[in-house]
Amino acid sequence: MLELIKELSTLSGISGREDAVRDYIIDKIEGYAEYSIDALGNLLVFKKGKKPAKNKVMLDAHMDEVGMIITAVTSEGYLKFAKVGGINSKVFIGRSVKVGENAINGVVGIKPVHLVDKDKEDAIPSADDLYIDIGAESKEQAEKFVSLGDAVYFDSDFVEFGDGFIKAKALDDRVGCAILIEMIRSELEYDAWFSFSVQEEIGTRGAQTAAFNIAPDYAVVVETTTAADISGVRDEKRVCICGKGGTVSFMDRSTLYNKALFDRAFEIADEKGILCQPKTYVAGGNDAGAIHKSRGGVKVLTVSVPCRYLHSPVCVIKYSDAEESLKLIKALAEEFAVC
Amino acid sequence: MNNYAGISAMLEALCSAKGVSGAENTAAQTASEMLGRFMTVGTDALGSVIGRKEGKGPHILLDAHIDQIGLVVTAIDEDGFLKFSKCGGADRRVLSAAEVTVHGKKDVFGVVTSTPPHLAKPEDAAKALPFEEMAIDIGLPKEEAEKIVSLGDRVTFNGNYLQLLGNRISSPSVDDRAGIVSILRCLEILEEKEVDCNLTVMFSAQEETGGSGAQAASFAAQADEAIAVDVSFASAPSVSSEKYAALGKGTMIGIAPALDYKISKTLEAIAERESIPYQLEVMGGKTGTNCDEIQVSGKGVRTALLSVPLRNMHTACEVCDLEDIENTAKLMAEYIAERSAENA
Repeated sequence: MLELIKELSTLSGISGREDAVRDYIIDKIEGYAEYSIDALGNLLVFKKGKKPAKNKVMLDAHMDEVGMIITAVTSEGYLKFAKVGGINSKVFIGRSVKVGENAINGVVGIKPVHLVDKDKEDAIPSADDLYIDIGAESKEQAEKFVSLGDAVYFDSDFVEFGDGFIKAKALDDRVGCAILIEMIRSELEYDAWFSFSVQEEIGTRGAQTAAFNIAPDYAVVVETTTAADISGVRDEKRVCICGKGGTVSFMDRSTLYNKALFDRAFEIADEKGILCQPKTYVAGGNDAGAIHKSRGGVKVLTVSVPCRYLHSPVCVIKYSDAEESLKLIKALAEEFAVC
Repeated sequence: MNNYAGISAMLEALCSAKGVSGAENTAAQTASEMLGRFMTVGTDALGSVIGRKEGKGPHILLDAHIDQIGLVVTAIDEDGFLKFSKCGGADRRVLSAAEVTVHGKKDVFGVVTSTPPHLAKPEDAAKALPFEEMAIDIGLPKEEAEKIVSLGDRVTFNGNYLQLLGNRISSPSVDDRAGIVSILRCLEILEEKEVDCNLTVMFSAQEETGGSGAQAASFAAQADEAIAVDVSFASAPSVSSEKYAALGKGTMIGIAPALDYKISKTLEAIAERESIPYQLEVMGGKTGTNCDEIQVSGKGVRTALLSVPLRNMHTACEVCDLEDIENTAKLMAEYIAERSAENA
């Protein structure tokens, strides 16, 4: 699965431009399952199990990543952009980016700190003042390489470091995609339905139609969530901890999870010796927000891989958490198929 | 691809070699090897790389600083995160979620922590954190971290050497590896032209922390004149084009009360005569470069400043135009050739 995570994280796919990710996933699952693509671009997959399922269980991971989109080229040849998804400018100012399908090198410029008034040294420039410099000397030169609407990606390699950690862009939610690919390529006990969803980062739009199309009884959203187990943060504010396994939510900003399913997840993990932990802070939201309201309502659960520095060029996860999450999600899918 | 393959290759090699103020190690070694092609090279007590080539004419000192800004490890916390302070003028605004290399017993990859969204107060969203609220994540528990990292270890910002459009490139530490390359390229031109001249070249340590390296090395050199090459501000959307230089429009000749006005004017006259693109950079007092130390070292040294225009100074994506380096080198070489001939 490590190789899948590595390859998926280096693919480019902001919300609405998931094509490269979808093509990659299709290539990996071809021959293992049936699939179709809906109007929004969701990749919907049906995998036959050894036995038919009593309940229809949908497993969801989103394909899109946060990034930027080019909105204008200035008269001097600089590129203006809008953010796609929730990103704090702090994490990409003074960093390099890749622009468009040809991955043109660009940098997000900032006024040198030497020229900033002392009392403004900690002020992050407002989004309106940000620009990308591709080295163009004029608008005409820039327009030979860049078009409005081009996607912009963080320039970040896949790096393994420390004690089993991985750093890459877009681990949110390519880790989820990798987990579901692994499941589809393995033998399943019961029939299962999967959605590799689009447009999660701009408001869980893909999952809304995916859930309508699949019409599940149960759903498990496979995600990443903020791990705040960093210097100076203590107790419940850490949200979840790298190395302690998949994170199960009872509540976030978009969903009140089915409490019985939440409790059952920990019982199953305990029975099977799988590492998992509760999400200890009510924050964030994901595709479950759209899925649980689909049609007549769906019982949902989210299992997330703890991820530090989410929505930045340097998402950090511990690989063992992805493996533990995969075990838990497989077990949950089996449980919900016949419960 | 750009039109300056030789300059680009040198700059890439120098930017890839790391050396934060006071621990210039790898960068100094790389620069020393490059300089060794032209003259006898040694290292002084503070770590500056000094080359000497005797010849005709006044003893001219060429300076560029070899150190780069970075961070320094000040503590390892109970969870193995590294606390740090700046070493040189690191910019807090570009540190959040930055990739770094910790130069411990071996080089270790790390990430500067960033505030998780649920803990960020709305009023702090657009504010850079104080140094004490950031840490470096190297993915190791304390006892493992301590085996590799010790207090005082330097940290550099990761970033690739990137080709932008035309002759423009982006990399960390172009400040002041662009100055080093300008001098090396100048030496190439002097060699091609077979100019007999009397030079000391110093790639000085500790500029970013106050110029100690240049002060000591220029005292030792006791040159008659000096030209320092540094980088200076190029205009950008956030940097006024009325006040600052334009990228790609030539080397910047410094004019300031703390610089030798006659040399500045001579450089300007030579640039005009030889049609070397240049821009004037006028400052009201000192220059904030090694010139401030060199001019008053020992018995005093007539000192000039040439600068390569640079965008995004002190970030991991500093941008320069290679043509400006070529023009800096050309102007310096013409000046040295002229002075050496005058006094021959």
